[in-house]
Amino acid sequence: MPATAAPLVPPSAPFPDEHINALNAVLGHASAEQRQWLAGFLAGYAAAGGQPAAAASAAAKARPLTILYATESGNAEALAGKAQAAARRLGFKPVLLDMADASPGDLAGAESLLVIASTWGEGDPPQRAAFFYEDLMGEGAPRLERLRYSVLALGDSAYVNFCETGRRLDARLAELGAVRAAERVECDLDFERPAAAWTGTALAALRPADEAAAEAGAEIIRVDFHKEAAGHWTQENPFPAELVQQIELSGSRSTKHVFHLELSLEGSGIAFEPGDALALLPENEAALVEEVLEKSGLAGEEALGRRLLRELDITTLSRPLMESYQRLRPNDGLARLLDGEDWRSFVKDRQLVDLLEAFPSRLEADELAGLLRPLPARSYSLASSPLAFPGEAHLLVGAVRWHSHGRARAGVASTWLGERLGRGDTVRAFLKPNRHFRLPADGRTPVVMIGPGTGVAPFRAFLQHRREQAATGRNWLFFGDRSSLHDFLYQLEWQELAQDGLLTRMDVAFSRDQPERIHVQHRLWEQRCELWAWLEEGAQLYLCGDAAAMAADVESMLLAIAADQGGLGRDAARAWLGDLVRGKRFQRDVY
Amino acid sequence: MTGLSRNERIKEESRLLRGTIAEGLERRITGALAEDDTQLGKFHGFYQQDDRDLRPERAKKKMEPAYSFMIRVRLPGGVCTPSQWLQMDDIAGTFANGTLRLTTRQTFQFHGVIKSNLKRTMQALDAALLDTIAACGDVNRNVLATSNPWQSQAHGAAYALARRISEHLLPRTGAWREIWLDGEKLAGGEPEEEPVYGRTYLPRKFKTVVAVPPANDVDVFAQDLGFVAVLDEAGAVTGWNVTVGGGMGMTHGDLGTWPRAADVMGFCTTEQAVDVAEKVVLVQRDFGDRSNRKRARLKYTIDDRGIDWFRQEVERRLGYSLGEPRPMAFEHTGDRFGWVEDHEGLWHYTLFIENGRIKDTALRAMRTGLRKIAEIHEGEFRLTANQNLIVSRIAPPMRARIEALLEEHGLANGWSGLRLNSMACVALPTCGLALAESERYLPDLVTALEDALEQAGLRDDEIVIRMTGCPNGCARPYLAEIGLVGRAPGTYNLYLGAAFDGTRLNKLYRRDVGHEAILAELRPLFARYAREREEGERFGDFVLRAGIIAATAAGRRFHEDLPPEVERWAR
Repeated sequence: MPATAAPLVPPSAPFPDEHINALNAVLGHASAEQRQWLAGFLAGYAAAGGQPAAAASAAAKARPLTILYATESGNAEALAGKAQAAARRLGFKPVLLDMADASPGDLAGAESLLVIASTWGEGDPPQRAAFFYEDLMGEGAPRLERLRYSVLALGDSAYVNFCETGRRLDARLAELGAVRAAERVECDLDFERPAAAWTGTALAALRPADEAAAEAGAEIIRVDFHKEAAGHWTQENPFPAELVQQIELSGSRSTKHVFHLELSLEGSGIAFEPGDALALLPENEAALVEEVLEKSGLAGEEALGRRLLRELDITTLSRPLMESYQRLRPNDGLARLLDGEDWRSFVKDRQLVDLLEAFPSRLEADELAGLLRPLPARSYSLASSPLAFPGEAHLLVGAVRWHSHGRARAGVASTWLGERLGRGDTVRAFLKPNRHFRLPADGRTPVVMIGPGTGVAPFRAFLQHRREQAATGRNWLFFGDRSSLHDFLYQLEWQELAQDGLLTRMDVAFSRDQPERIHVQHRLWEQRCELWAWLEEGAQLYLCGDAAAMAADVESMLLAIAADQGGLGRDAARAWLGDLVRGKRFQRDVY
Repeated sequence: MTGLSRNERIKEESRLLRGTIAEGLERRITGALAEDDTQLGKFHGFYQQDDRDLRPERAKKKMEPAYSFMIRVRLPGGVCTPSQWLQMDDIAGTFANGTLRLTTRQTFQFHGVIKSNLKRTMQALDAALLDTIAACGDVNRNVLATSNPWQSQAHGAAYALARRISEHLLPRTGAWREIWLDGEKLAGGEPEEEPVYGRTYLPRKFKTVVAVPPANDVDVFAQDLGFVAVLDEAGAVTGWNVTVGGGMGMTHGDLGTWPRAADVMGFCTTEQAVDVAEKVVLVQRDFGDRSNRKRARLKYTIDDRGIDWFRQEVERRLGYSLGEPRPMAFEHTGDRFGWVEDHEGLWHYTLFIENGRIKDTALRAMRTGLRKIAEIHEGEFRLTANQNLIVSRIAPPMRARIEALLEEHGLANGWSGLRLNSMACVALPTCGLALAESERYLPDLVTALEDALEQAGLRDDEIVIRMTGCPNGCARPYLAEIGLVGRAPGTYNLYLGAAFDGTRLNKLYRRDVGHEAILAELRPLFARYAREREEGERFGDFVLRAGIIAATAAGRRFHEDLPPEVERWAR
C-alpha cells in the first residue's frame, strides 16, 4: 500500500473534520479490493433510498449520462427525474433532456443514454416530442456508434400499438450504430415497479465494465420509486377527497352528459397550479363486475368482486391479456385469432367480457385476478384556480357511453364520476402536475386558448387565476361543442368574465347548430388576421382537448394561417410552429 | 301624456330599424340580442324567445336561457306556390325545429331558429322570393285575404287588394336587406325616408284584412282595418265596406283595456282602397297613444275620440268622403272543409290542421304528406286565417293523385264540429307572453269536450272554441263562442256568447277555471243547448237568449254585466 496516497475524502466533503479523518484512516489503508467493494456497497445503498451521503465522493469519477424522455402526461418525465436521482447516487453525472427541447444532434457526443418514451394514441410519439422523433427517424439523423443505451417504453395495453414509440426508438438507435446496453422494457399503465427495475438494470449495464465486473452482483442495485416524501399523495396512497358538488352541465336535450364536479382537497396539502391534472382512482360498474364473475363461473365470489370493483381493470382487452387467457385455458379459436392478425380486429371496441363470452371457460378466482392489470387512475385537467377556490378542485368530466358489438359500453371513470357517485362520496385522488401547460409567468402576456368540449376545463382555471392575480394580459378563448343551446359549457361564467373585461374575446363553434360542421379550427381561420396579430404581439397559445381529430385539425389550421398571414411556405410554417412549441409559446394538453 | 313609451325611444334611435342588430349577430357568446334590438327585431319579422320548458334547469347548468327566434313570414293573403312550400319545409327542417306553424295571420312561422342561423334563414326566405319585413312590429302586418275558394273571382280581387296594401304600407327602410342579405349599407348622410310611417312608425301593431262575405274567415271585426267586398249579382266586386277599430288584446286586471269589435266606417271603391288604408294608418300614426303601449292600438284612439271624429279625420286627409256602408252579411268565421270546384273547373281541398302545426307524429305524417303533395302540385297553397290549409287550384286530372296522398298520410278530414272550429295560439314553450298552455293543451280539452258533445248529440255541430295563453289574443279568443284565455299554468278565464259569424264579442263567464272546472261548466250547457236550442240557433246566440251570459254590445262594455260568479273580482 503506497503510503503516499493522497487523502481519499477531501476536506471539502460534507463531514465534520473528525469524520473525514476517520474515513481516510480506513480508506487509506484499505486494499483496492476493499475500496471497490465499499464503492459498490455505497452506490447500492444510495440507490436503494438511503441518504446519498456518498455521492460526492463518487463524483470524482462521475460518468456523463443523458436521460432523454418523451412525455405527454408527465409520467415519462417523472420517471426520468427518478432515474436521474438514482443515476446520481450511482456516481453518474446525469443530464435530463426533454425531447421537446432537443434535436438528435444533441446525442452526437454522448456515450451513455437512457431513453424513457411514452406512446400516445395509436402508436404516436408525444406531441411535443414529434419534431425530435421525426428528425431521428429521418435521413439526417447522426451516426451514434459511441453510444450505449437502453429504452424504457411506456404505453397502455388498451391500444393495439402498445409502446410503439419506445420500440421504434430502440430499433432506430440500433440502426444508427448505438449499442443496446440493456434490453428494452415495456410498461403498461402500472409502470412504477417495472420502471424501477429497468432503471436499476440499465444503470448497472451502463457502468464501465470494470466497475460492473467488480461488483458481486447486479442485484445490489435495487431502485425503489415508491418511497415518497410523507404527505405526497400517490396512486398507492391517494387522498380521499369528498365530492361536494356534482352538476350536469349538458342541457337535458343534449346528446352528451358533461359534469362539473367539485372535490374538497381540505387537509390534503395538495398544492396545484392551473394546467395541472388531478388523477382519480375510479370504480367499475357493479353490474359489469357481476357479469365478469358470472362469465368466469365465479358468481358470488364476494372478495374477488370487491377487488374487481375497485382494484382491477375489467374492461380493457389487449393482446397480452388474450395471450395470458390462452395460456390458462387454451382454445383453438383463440389460438387462431392470436396466430395471425385477426386479433387486431377482435380487440377493436371489445372488452374483457366479450372475450369471456366468445371463448368461455371457468376460472379460479386467482386466475381471473391474475389476468387483469390494476385499474388505472384517470387524470382530469383541473378546472379551477386554487386562488379562486382554495381547498377545492373542480373537474369537467364528459361521461363516455357508446355501443359496440351489440353492447352498451361505458367509460369507467367518467360514468362513475358523473352518474354513480353522489355528493358526499369519496374519491381517491392524487395530483398529476403538468409543468408543460402553464400560464405565462408575465401577467401582461396575452394568451389564446383553444379548448373545445371538456378541453375548456384548464382555461376556466387559467382565467380564474388571471383574474385573481389581476393579470392585465388579454385573453382570447376558442370554445366549441355540438349545440350552442345545450352544450355551451360554463356559458354564464364566460359571459361574466367577458363582462368584467377579463375575457377579451370569445369565439365559439357549434358543429351541429347548422347543416355543415363548424369546428374551432374554422373559427381560427375566420379570425386568422386578428389571431396572427396576437401571436405577432407575443401571445401564448394553448390547446386542450381531443387528440384524435381536433388537435391535428387545429394544428394544420395553424400552419395554414401561418402560410396565409405570415407568407410562410410549407416548411417554414412547420418550423414556425416548431419554434412556438420549443419556445413554450404553444402548449398542448390533449388526450 | 306621461311621456313616450320606451319603445318610442328605441324606434327613434334605431336609424330606421337598424339598431345594433348586425353587431349582435356577431356576439357568439350569447344566443340573445341586445334588449333594445329584440324590440326592433319584430319589425324584421322575428321575436326573441326562449324555451320555457328548459328555464328551470338553465341557470343551474350555468347556461343562459335557451334562446331562439320565432320568424314570421310576410305572405299577403296567405298564398304561396308549391315550390315556396317546399322551400318553407326545407327551412323548417334545416334551421327551425322541424315543424311549420301556420298562423292566424295566414302565414308561416318558424320556431326555434337560433341566432347564428337567423341570417341564413332570412336568405333562404329571400331565395324563395319571400321576406319577413313588418311581419311583426309597430307597422301594418301581414295583410289577410279571404281564402274562400267558392267565389274564386272575388278571392282574386281580395288577394290582389291584400297584396297592394301590403306593398304600399311596407316600411321603406333598407335595414332588412342590409342586415340579412348583406345588402349595401347606407352611405353616410344619404337620406332615407319612411314616407308613410316616419321615423317612429306606428304607436303599436296594425292589422289589416280583406274579407269576402259570407265568409268571415279573416275575422274582420277583430282587425284594425278591414275591407269587406261588396259583390254584384254576378259575384264581381263593386267596392269595399271599410271597417276600423277592431282588436283583441287586453291586459288582465286592467279595466281600461278591452277587446273591441270593429266599426263599419264607410264604403270605398277598389281604386280608393289603398289610399284609404294609407290615410287610416296616418291618422293612427298621428293620434295613437305613444305613451302607453297597452292603450296604443287604433281601437282606443277611436273609442277615445269617437268614430265620427275618426272618419272625418280620414276623409279630411283623403280629400273626399267615404260612401255609405253597403249592406253585408257574414255567416261564419270558420273554414269550409273538403273538396270544392270553382268556376274555372279547378278543385280545392281545405284541410284541417290542428292549431296550424305541421309536423310528423307517430299518428300522422303530416309534414311529409304535404311535402309530397307540394312536389306534384301545380296550383297553389292557401293558408287560411284559421290556421288551416287549402290545396288550391288543382286541375281535374291531378285530383285523384292528391286525394291519394291525403289518404296515405292520414290527412283527410274526419273531425268533430268543435275541433274543426278550434284554434289555439302557440303559447308554451316558446312564447314569452304565455301565462298558460294553449297549443299543447287545447287538443286534449277538445277531446274531453267531445265526449260531452257526443252525449248531447252535438258531435257534428259547429261551435267555435279558441284558446290563448295570454290576454293578447293571437287566436282571437274574444270572438269565439267559447273563449279560453290563460291566467296561470292550468288556469283559464272562460268567455261565452260571441257570435258564430264573428260580429259580436263574448264575455267573461267564469274566472280561473282549470280542466275539470271547464268541463263541469260546459257539459250542462251543451246538454241544455241540445235540448233547448231553436232551429239553426248557434251556441253563442243560445247562451244569450237563455240568459246564461249577457251580450257584449261594444268593446268598452266588455267588462260590464258580468255574471255574479265573477263580479266579486275586485275592480
